Amino acid sequence: MDPSEVEFLAEKEMVKIIPNFSLDKVYLIGGDLGPFNPGLPVDVPVWLALNLKQRQKCRIVPPAWMDVEKLEEMRDLERKEDMFTPVPSPYYMELTKLLLNYASDNIPKADEIRTLVKDIWDTRVAKLRLSADSFISQMEAHAKLDNLTLMEINTIRAFLLDSLNCMYKLRSNMQPGSSKGQLTDY
Amino acid sequence: MPCERKPMRYDHSEGHTEVCFDDSGKFIVTCGNDGDVRIWESLDDDDPKFITVGEKAYSLALKKGKLVTASSNNTVQIHTFPDGDPDGILTRFTTHATHVAFNSSGSRVAAGSSDFMVKVVEVSDSSQQKTLRGHEAPVLSVTFDPKDDFLASASCDGSVVVWNIEEQTQVISWPLLQKTNDFSNAKSLCRLAWQPGTAKFLAVPVETKVHLYERGSWDHVSTLSDDLLTQPINVVAWSPCGKFLAAGSVGGSLNVWDVNSKLCVERQKHEKGFTVCSLAWHPSGSQIAYTDTEGCLGLLDGLSTSTSTTNTTKAPEKKPAEDYDALFDDDDDDRLMDEGLSDTNSPVKKPVAGDDDDDDDFLMPATGRVRNRGDKFGDDDDDTGSAVMPAAAPLVPLRPVYEGPLPSAPQKAFQPGSTPAHLTHRFMMWNSVGIVRGYNDEQDNAIDVEFHDTAVHHAMHLTNSLGHTMADLSQEAVLLACPSTDELASKLQCLHFSSWDTNKEWMVDLPKGEDARALCLGQGWVAVATSTLTLRLFSIGGLQREIFSLPGPVVCMVGHGEQLLIIYHRATGFDGEQALGVQLLQFGRRKRQLINGEPFPLSLKSYLSWLGFTAEGTPCYVDSEGVVRMLNRSLGNTWTPVCNTRETCKSKSDHYWVVGVHENPQQLRCIPCKGSRYPPTLPRPAVAILPFKLPLCQTTTEKGQMEEQLWRSVLFHNHYSFLSSSGYEIDEEGQSRSQKEQQELLMKMFALSCKLEREFRCVELAELMTQNVVTLAIRYASRSRRMALAQRLSEIALEKANQVQEEEPEEPEEEPEYSRRTSGNRRYQEEEEEQVEELGEEDDGQEMDTEEAAETRKRQFHLFSSASPERRTCFSGRMVKVMVEYLQMLGAGKPSASSGQPRVTNILDNMTSSKKSAPLRSAGKPNKDPVLKPLAPRTKTKTQSTLLQMTGTKASSKKTQANAEPAAEQQKQPDVPPPASPADNTENKRPKTGFQLWLEENRKTIIADHPDLEETDVIKEAMGRFRTLSAEDRLSWTERAKGQTGDAADLKKRKRAEGEEGGGGRDVENENGRAEADENSAKKKKSLDPTSKLSAFAFNKS
Repeated sequence: MDPSEVEFLAEKEMVKIIPNFSLDKVYLIGGDLGPFNPGLPVDVPVWLALNLKQRQKCRIVPPAWMDVEKLEEMRDLERKEDMFTPVPSPYYMELTKLLLNYASDNIPKADEIRTLVKDIWDTRVAKLRLSADSFISQMEAHAKLDNLTLMEINTIRAFLLDSLNCMYKLRSNMQPGSSKGQLTDY
Repeated sequence: MPCERKPMRYDHSEGHTEVCFDDSGKFIVTCGNDGDVRIWESLDDDDPKFITVGEKAYSLALKKGKLVTASSNNTVQIHTFPDGDPDGILTRFTTHATHVAFNSSGSRVAAGSSDFMVKVVEVSDSSQQKTLRGHEAPVLSVTFDPKDDFLASASCDGSVVVWNIEEQTQVISWPLLQKTNDFSNAKSLCRLAWQPGTAKFLAVPVETKVHLYERGSWDHVSTLSDDLLTQPINVVAWSPCGKFLAAGSVGGSLNVWDVNSKLCVERQKHEKGFTVCSLAWHPSGSQIAYTDTEGCLGLLDGLSTSTSTTNTTKAPEKKPAEDYDALFDDDDDDRLMDEGLSDTNSPVKKPVAGDDDDDDDFLMPATGRVRNRGDKFGDDDDDTGSAVMPAAAPLVPLRPVYEGPLPSAPQKAFQPGSTPAHLTHRFMMWNSVGIVRGYNDEQDNAIDVEFHDTAVHHAMHLTNSLGHTMADLSQEAVLLACPSTDELASKLQCLHFSSWDTNKEWMVDLPKGEDARALCLGQGWVAVATSTLTLRLFSIGGLQREIFSLPGPVVCMVGHGEQLLIIYHRATGFDGEQALGVQLLQFGRRKRQLINGEPFPLSLKSYLSWLGFTAEGTPCYVDSEGVVRMLNRSLGNTWTPVCNTRETCKSKSDHYWVVGVHENPQQLRCIPCKGSRYPPTLPRPAVAILPFKLPLCQTTTEKGQMEEQLWRSVLFHNHYSFLSSSGYEIDEEGQSRSQKEQQELLMKMFALSCKLEREFRCVELAELMTQNVVTLAIRYASRSRRMALAQRLSEIALEKANQVQEEEPEEPEEEPEYSRRTSGNRRYQEEEEEQVEELGEEDDGQEMDTEEAAETRKRQFHLFSSASPERRTCFSGRMVKVMVEYLQMLGAGKPSASSGQPRVTNILDNMTSSKKSAPLRSAGKPNKDPVLKPLAPRTKTKTQSTLLQMTGTKASSKKTQANAEPAAEQQKQPDVPPPASPADNTENKRPKTGFQLWLEENRKTIIADHPDLEETDVIKEAMGRFRTLSAEDRLSWTERAKGQTGDAADLKKRKRAEGEEGGGGRDVENENGRAEADENSAKKKKSLDPTSKLSAFAFNKS
């Protein structure tokens, strides 16, 4: 799975916008959107919000968790805990990236938020690597990780699976046959 | 001079502190770095009350129960004293204020700030403020001239400046101090002090000396000094009598000089030598409280000024005149050190002096009472020798005091949807069209206009060189106005962006002495209310139009379409109430006044906070208690509360700032404000939507909820009738939907009342229903066996039918046309090929008509409330039908029932026949001439079918069945068994088959053979027998059937005639009785179904 595919999935998330045009309900396969009244907040999927934003047809209201104080709290908790803490949104990284890239003028303290989310992300990915490392070094058969987001799983999947395969091959070459088994003594 | 230095005690955390006494001298009030204001009953008070005012408190001032503090959030705030409730923010700076001071009467506050500015603010109205600019460094201290003309301030730039407050100009500036870069680095706080009372001298601490400057000439007339003083003086304070001056220095020295003699009468040293940063005299002059930079509080008690025992009353009178002379007059020197030194100016004598001294008179209202109080415990002090005050010293007013209701300050004029004018960044207008923001800070004085819908116009940025303070915004224009200044008249500026010519702007000067107070934009016009109680109308292009006088000072104005709503002060309100009046005018073709200066209802002790029209054009307003009221045009222009925004607030200090009201859909658009009444411009506030809720009783119960829904629905659909009466196009679909919704609610309530055994209430509800729904209600009542109720309801239904009939003659001539048109669709289906041309014409007609909104509306009206004659007959027919049903249920024994029956049957017969004629005709369609098709009968059938559709097909089909039954009842024949009648019916509908003919012939034999067979079994048996016939026989039957089809009706008639001939006699009567009984049971069975459906409609749907 590509990161861009994960991002595509994230674009389904709903976000509040304040349109500056008026339009009746739009009937789409995925559900009805609108009606759009100028100045009245309305929930739309991210893809539409960004599209409208780029055409300067709306302002985006950042999600409630996209707030410096809340993110600071989250970051501190994430650093303190050994386990993964629950994230504000299953697509927090993607949403932050999308919204900050296209609508940073609608989000107060955009830079701080970017840094904070990056901090959270780094902490979590470090934890993930650490747990993968201990998983392998302790030769465990299975492990359970809670509160991981799709993007996080996606970053480690390719590498982890390949390396596990490799290791499996290496180990299986060593195991069978007593003649080869001697090699392990070196 | 005997003086006792009380031990210091810990007060605040270390840092700058300030101290003052309250007006009565009962409390010592301090503030400090910990952000608390502490209220000490005495120095020994171990549990002082405290008020938290911010993170840090830099300065405080207290007068007349108002505690003003400068806190770290860059504001100067007011708290009530001694309760400590926040009472608003007086002013803001870009950085924290360093010193605040009251004037002598307590009406104004001066505040100096680190941002180099000094502001003078009216306590009662923080929007009236004067800014004194000119210092080039943070301001150290400020003090008012007791006569309120001047203000002195000291600054870190080394200057001490005297300002003229009114002109906001510097009168004189002395470079006296050492320059520093910040308040915190200043060697001396240089707290200035102006001599109270006569205001003759301004005391300025300069290094180790105190300079006295004379008011008026601004000459340096004398210097107070003490040899023992080695450190710079931080703070000076005059005794309340103005005779002594106390000074506190950096090194902790406390000195008191007699100003006349320039001699130091008191020297004290701080017990630890900390810097004294604040000094305050007790109003009696007997004590001095001081605080140091380490946060400790100390007290000097028993100052000799208060221990005067002499009773000279003459001295004060001459004192003001002598004061200055006396200063240089050595005659007085001998008095200084002895006991009687303060005989002339003992503060305890002041009130007496005030009574006969004109010079002092102006001070009296503010300070007289207080000083009198001081007198009281001045005496006590001698006894107790401590600062403990008598707890309940009664007030002894000098003058008779008016104790009745007090007039409340009239509300200032405002623009609805704007935030207060004193803010540097504010909303000048937020309405349904867009947002106008005003910026007025150091760098920029500008106005931003932004439209919610960018299709209206792009955003605008204007420089606000004229200083506009009012704005309004519509789809056509931006309107701005500024108050007049000394040189410039009040101006009205209109940016008419929708103009099609190139000149998009016009400006008008109001006459001299006339200030714009409120303004609004309507459709094609502009209105401005001015300070001369005049209302001026302009066209949107700038033509002057009508001008008229207002009955009172305007509060605010709004326009919508052709309507103008004006709120003005009708009279003076008392005890916090506002006495407002309202005028609603309508322009357009017929100019008139809809509301003629009626009193304007507000919640108790509240003021108007928003005024506007709903998007549909109904006036609406919000008061400071958060109650939203809307005009109810159907109830004689009364105001109905529709929402209380405070109910949805989480905290007491939260408010909703309303920006718009919509009736359809029902939305109250507002901005939630946490802890304030209005939103800040940044971050950009988001609009929220609140629902409406009429404040009816018991809305937690089902009944209350439905009542609320019903009346809300009624109220919020009033605009339809208004819009249509003023000639606007309306959304008929929405209107009919709302009517349906209301009727549904009524029916639900009816069902609920029935369930609760409230039959009287049911009747009341029925009176609100339309005739259609009443019939439903009757059915519901009869099904639930409430005979008395059903009877009453039928009376109501008849009444309603009569009413409808009376209304009918108004527009009779339109009906045929209408019905023909509505039947168009049906004909389209039936006669597609033949009628193409004709239909084309009719369709055109329909299109044209939809353009003519009014006419269409009338038609709509017909459909739903009034009735064409055909419909009416049908109605009454149905109604009677319902009555019959229920009479039958009452039992056949009732004579009235049987007597009523024949007539009823007649009507019903007519109906049945007319109904039957329709299918017959359509069946025989190909035979008819398509062009010469008769209009009237067709109309009739069509109208009926519309009606039937409206009430549901169930009802109509049931009716046919039911109609057939009474008919059959009369026509029962002994020789034709009852099951024959359904066969008769089918006969009418389609041509008979051969089998049916055969069956008729042979039925009797079959029944004779198998008397116990049911009808279906009879037919089965017959089918079997028919099949056993030979092919030729069957064919011949079929032939016969074909031949007979044409005169099936004849056949039926003949049969009936036969039956009637054979009728009569006992057998018939018996049969009739049996049939009736059967019917009743059948009806009961049948009744189950519609009732259950109806109850499902009534309860499940809710």
